[in-house]
Parts: sequence; C-alpha cells; structure tokens
Amino acid sequence: MKSLLSSLGLVLLLGFSIGLQPALAVDLKAEPQNLVQQVSDEIFTELDARRDYYEDDRDALEGLVRSKFIPMIDSIYASRLILGREGRKLEKPQIKDFADALSELLVRRYAEGILEFRSRDQLSVLPLVGNNTDKATRVRTKVVLTNGQEAPVDYVFRKTPVGWRVFDVVIEGISYVTTYRNQFGEEIRRDGFDSVLNRIRSGDVDTDFSKNES
Amino acid sequence: MTRILAHTRIISAILVVFLLAGCASTEQRSPHPKDPWEGFNRSMYNVNRGLDKAIMKPLAQGYKAVTPDFLEEGISNALANLRFPVTIVNLLLQGKLEDTGIALGRFVLNSTFGIGGLVDVATREGIPNYSEDFGQTFAVWGWENSNYLMIPLLGPSTLRDGIGIVPELWTDGVSIIVNQTDHYWLLGLNFVERRAAFLSREGALDDADDEYAFIRDAYLQRRDFLIKDGETELPDYDDFLLDDEEFDDSEFYNDGIQRPL
Repeated sequence: MKSLLSSLGLVLLLGFSIGLQPALAVDLKAEPQNLVQQVSDEIFTELDARRDYYEDDRDALEGLVRSKFIPMIDSIYASRLILGREGRKLEKPQIKDFADALSELLVRRYAEGILEFRSRDQLSVLPLVGNNTDKATRVRTKVVLTNGQEAPVDYVFRKTPVGWRVFDVVIEGISYVTTYRNQFGEEIRRDGFDSVLNRIRSGDVDTDFSKNES
Repeated sequence: MTRILAHTRIISAILVVFLLAGCASTEQRSPHPKDPWEGFNRSMYNVNRGLDKAIMKPLAQGYKAVTPDFLEEGISNALANLRFPVTIVNLLLQGKLEDTGIALGRFVLNSTFGIGGLVDVATREGIPNYSEDFGQTFAVWGWENSNYLMIPLLGPSTLRDGIGIVPELWTDGVSIIVNQTDHYWLLGLNFVERRAAFLSREGALDDADDEYAFIRDAYLQRRDFLIKDGETELPDYDDFLLDDEEFDDSEFYNDGIQRPL
C-alpha cells in the first residue's frame, strides 16, 4: 500500500511538474521526430481541452499556433529557399521581413487546417526512412482528419546553430517551399519585392473573410 | 451500357462548348513545361472556378454546416469504400499482388463489419489504406509525363489522368450504382463530399498571386506523390538557394534576428 501511495505521489508530482513547464518547454535540441511529437502533443492537449473556444475564436487559435508551432520553424532559411535568385539581391533586414510575413502566413494556414485534425490520438509520427542528413531530415507523420480520411504530412528539418528546425512542410506530397517559390518568384520579377511583401502581409484581411467560410 | 453512352454524348457536347470557350485566351507568363495548353486550361479554369464559387462551394459549405461530424465521417467512409474497387483493380494492374490482397481484405471487412463502409473498421484494425487509379497505373506502365489538362466541370487533371477517368465508370461503385439505379443524388453527394474535404485547405489560394498556377503546381506535385506511393524525392533545396558564394546566415541566429524562442 505504501509503495502504491508513493508511486501515486510520484505520478502526481510528475504530472504537476509537467503542467508547470512554461511554453518554452519545447527543447529545440531534441531530435526531429521527438520535436514533431512534442509540439503536436502540446498543441492537441490544449486544443482538445478547449475545442469549442478555439473553433469560435480564430485569433486565439492563431495565437496558440504562433506560440507552439512557429518556434520550430526556420523561417529565414525557408524564405531564402522561396526567394531563390531574387533573395540574393536583398538586404538581410528585407529577408527578415519576408521571413516574418511568411511565418504569419504559416500561422494562418496551420490554424485553418488544424481544426480538421480529429484529435491527438489520430496523429502518428512514422519511422524515419530514406536518406536523412543534417541538411534535410524528413519526418513523416500521418493524421486522420475529421472526415475520417488520412493525410500524410511531412516536416523537413535541418540542423541550425540553435538546433533542429523545420524549413519545409509537405502535405500529401505538396511542398510549401516549392509551391510558394513558384508563386512569389514570378510575382517578384513582375511587381518587385516590396509589393509582394506588402501583399503577403495584408493577407490578414483575406482570412477575416474566410473565417466564416469553413 | 447504353445509358453510359448517352451520357458520353451529352458530355462531349458540353466539351465542345468548353473547347470553343477555351480558344479566347490571352494570359502571358513564363511557360510551364507540362502545360503547353495553358491558354485553353486557363480559360477552362476560370469557367470551373466560377461554377465552383457559385454552386459547388456553397453546397459544400452547407453540407458541412448541417451534417454532424459523425455522420460526415460515415458518409465520407462509405463513399471511399464504394470507390475502393478502383484502387483494388489498379493495384492488381500495377502488379502489386500482396497489396491487392490486403486491399481486398480491407474492402470486405469494411463492407461487412463496417456496415456497408460507414465505419472504417479496417483502419482501426491497423490495415493499411491505398489510393490508386487508372491514371497512376498508366504512369507506372510508362506514361510518366503527361500534359496538364483542366477538364470542364471536373477540374485539374492531365491528359493521362483524364483518360483514366473513363474506366472508372465500370469500377467506381458510385458510378455503377448510379448507372444501374438512377440514384443521381448519390453522384451529387459524392461531388459535394469531395468538395467539402477541400474547404479547410483552400485558404492557401489566398496566398496565391496566380491561383491557376498555384493549383497546377499543387496538382502535379500531389499526383507525383500518389504515383510513387509517397516515395517522392524531396525538392532539390540546394538548387533553390542558387548560392554562388556562401550566404552567411549565422548572424540571423547569433543576433537573435531568427525568431526569438
């Protein structure tokens, strides 16, 4: 009985200390797979606890994504990949501006999609396969959506000076970096960098309309 | 069978109208290697998208709004199960015998214990899922590259994948039932359900400067992924950087310009 009580106490203590961990609990030195699992767990724990609230309040949902998901993203590197040749003409602060705008874009997209994920039990991180390096390690996951269908979502990591970070997300084979690169590259050549940056930033306006749509 | 032929005649009549509409096109952008019919495709996209915004999207939104999640899942499961023979036949045609057996087992299990497919028992039991069609089979047989084609009413496709839709008339359970029983509502439900599944992701279209090119890009990437059963190579990121000289990004990390944690 005593050992039962003490182990119960231990469990409680453990649970308590986990509960007390601040938002910074994401250990960015962790290996890519653990990182995906950890961040997803944190988001779903919060989401499952207050699903109705987050369904009604898109700003709160975006806030959750911003605080949990974005720290895992290497938006600078992603931006450089997306900007390609155009990026080489830019100053570093401009690349930083683009990276911030891109992060906000990802926040909106992720928030939009995440409500379609049924629950944390429906996400599985699959074993690493193929050729994974410090420059590109692909973590495959599979999520079950609210309509019961499965969707493969891959996170592509690289090792940065501050730990493993995601620089591309591939949903059902569709790479964000590739797709945005094709879009923005053409647009920058035509309209110029500032115009494109402003358009991406003003994307906030669009989501206000689409809020009621889904 | 005659019914299908009659449908084909109606469809070809519609096609002619759309083809004519497609001749008047102007858009200029750098050409895409897989899209030599871009002029036609773009005008067809505008027609399709117009119809989508006016009819399909509102229907899909309404459907999603009034259907409780459990029912939506049931309907989605049942429709996927009805469609599954397409996958089974094509696994066989691609010579994936072991997978064909597993897929057959999945279909039988879901059709029986899953109450006509309403409950996806197989997935709960950990039985793998597949997604194959005739377009993918043609690709596996050697027709790897096919021109992008925007099909009237049906949306993005390639010539290969478009031709691959034809044999589905005899393999897709939905189409078989509709042909034999005239329950056209099932066809309608099928389209609405598929459209609804896309609602949560179309926000990405807002990011697009050129919606048409965005969808083309996404479609071609996704098809490649399906054809290779998810074993696609990652993009050539090094090539994306176009680094002649080394770009020193350390300051982004050292100076905290990289997003603070």
